[in-house]
Amino acid sequence: MTGITENIWQAKTVAQRAAEALPESVWFALGYMVLGVVGVAAFIAVLGMGLIYAERKIAGHFQCRLGPMRVGWHGIFQTVADTLKLLLKEDVVPAQADKFLHILAPLFTLLGTILVLAVLPMSPIVHVSDVNIGVVYVGAVSGFGVLGILLGGWSSNNKWSLLGAMRAGAQIISYEISATLALLVVVLFSGTLRLSEIVESQAAGWWIWRAHGVGIVAFLLFFIASLAEINRTPFDIPEGESELTAGFHTEYSGMRFAFFFLAEFINMFIVAALTATLFLGGWMPFHIGDFAGFNAIMDMIPPGLWFTGKTAFLVFLIMWFRWTFPRLRVDQLMRLEWKVLLPIGFANLIAAAVVVLFNFYFFPVR
Amino acid sequence: MMQATDKQENPTRSGLVTAPELKRHGFFRNVFSGIKSLLEGMKVTFHYLSHPSTVVTQQYPENRATLKMMERYRALLTMIHDENGLHKCTGCQICHDNCPNASINVVTRSNPVSGKKELDRYIWRMDSCTFCNLCVQVCPFGVLKMDGSFEGAVYDRRLFVFTLNHYAGPAAGLLAKVADPEERKKMIEPRDRYSGPVPLNGQELAGVKALKKAESGCCGGSGGCCSDSQGSQGSKEMK
Repeated sequence: MTGITENIWQAKTVAQRAAEALPESVWFALGYMVLGVVGVAAFIAVLGMGLIYAERKIAGHFQCRLGPMRVGWHGIFQTVADTLKLLLKEDVVPAQADKFLHILAPLFTLLGTILVLAVLPMSPIVHVSDVNIGVVYVGAVSGFGVLGILLGGWSSNNKWSLLGAMRAGAQIISYEISATLALLVVVLFSGTLRLSEIVESQAAGWWIWRAHGVGIVAFLLFFIASLAEINRTPFDIPEGESELTAGFHTEYSGMRFAFFFLAEFINMFIVAALTATLFLGGWMPFHIGDFAGFNAIMDMIPPGLWFTGKTAFLVFLIMWFRWTFPRLRVDQLMRLEWKVLLPIGFANLIAAAVVVLFNFYFFPVR
Repeated sequence: MMQATDKQENPTRSGLVTAPELKRHGFFRNVFSGIKSLLEGMKVTFHYLSHPSTVVTQQYPENRATLKMMERYRALLTMIHDENGLHKCTGCQICHDNCPNASINVVTRSNPVSGKKELDRYIWRMDSCTFCNLCVQVCPFGVLKMDGSFEGAVYDRRLFVFTLNHYAGPAAGLLAKVADPEERKKMIEPRDRYSGPVPLNGQELAGVKALKKAESGCCGGSGGCCSDSQGSQGSKEMK
């Protein structure tokens, strides 16, 4: 457990570095802060383009087509071209819309995304800020996303937008419960709310299988509920193209639409990254018990690569879901949450609590 | 199994929709069968992803040389001409009357030798055509067909109106009865794609050669489009 975090990698966040630099010079501290902000912004832009390209290519092949093929080699610059187009496009605000809220809504959605991104431990050294209530913080600020959706749907003064927004609200209130119940299982086992400590608690084994089966159930619950929270297919009823034209962003165009679009894709990354952090060990390498040789080889792969690999796998899984599963109806969505996921979540949490309370471990956990 | 048959016989006795997850044993069965069917679907789509040979879309500009259009594709109305360059159109104008948006104009003439009524020009307006195939279906002689050559985009909309027949004269069957080749020649007059009462009327455009003066002057009596100013302009451009 101690090998990686203390000897090889000195875990430090950008916020810590800024705090350490403050006594020497304010400018150093400010430099670190600017580095953090610019880093997150650049990360969002580059990651967004990469994910959109990957989604289009993967979607193409899932549907027996090739996807973008024209701009650059195998369409690799297609997203760059699309981004330029969206930047230059006219921004239309409907005449009867609430203009202030209409402009504010996409910013709120993107804000929620950025705030979550800041606390994600991507590797021991790539980590903007380590919050001691990390898990609660993530649950709280991800609500900004749905606030933006609700505002956008309301301010558009369009019945499709409003319906989509109300659906998003109902969906998020429902699925937040299941996601939190699954999350609590990990909190119970690791005994901390800090995301970096949750990662470090998985040095001996990832929670998905170290937690006596409740880990796997919690993993599935969290993954499904998170998909619903970010309005990803098969839970994309707030958008619901076939029913609501484009749902909450029907009346958005140009850059503001791009913000919604970007937030949607970054949220996909965040869900994958959070799931990897909580259940798949974050940037921890894969270890098997006492196989020292095997473990040593696994340690040679840098933590950033481990994190990227796990997240990429989960992102691929999310895309796979999207291009395979049909969209749920509103009543089916509610039934899935309140009649299926919620009872399983409660039973799972109680089982996990019993395991932790009676120290019913096959191997040491902490 | 007993429960299942009972349910089939008596589906909604109380008027309520029965949810399978509320039944005894139904909850987990429902969850697991749901997961199983989802995995089945994922297996299918993953097969498509991992086998690029399953791609069914046409890579159009790249495969232009080998592209074969579907037999029933409707892109371009054509008049069927046999190996001798003869068509079977009698100029009966049934297609003209049946065209729902007047995209077909069949101009007839009387033959200079026999004096019988026959086809002079078969003018088709591709710009207003909806490719409904009615003209092909109503033709009693099977003269027309819808061709698969879909690359119909042009830079001048005048090019969308053109003549389909290659000659003015009697249909192939009637012409076969005329033994003398000299006589035959007299009965037939060649027709160009953009001659006569079409908007372009023999003028020169990029990709379209100007017609000879003698041909462009011939309007088949219907005038209108074929004004003198256009004709002289065309000849000026020709030099």
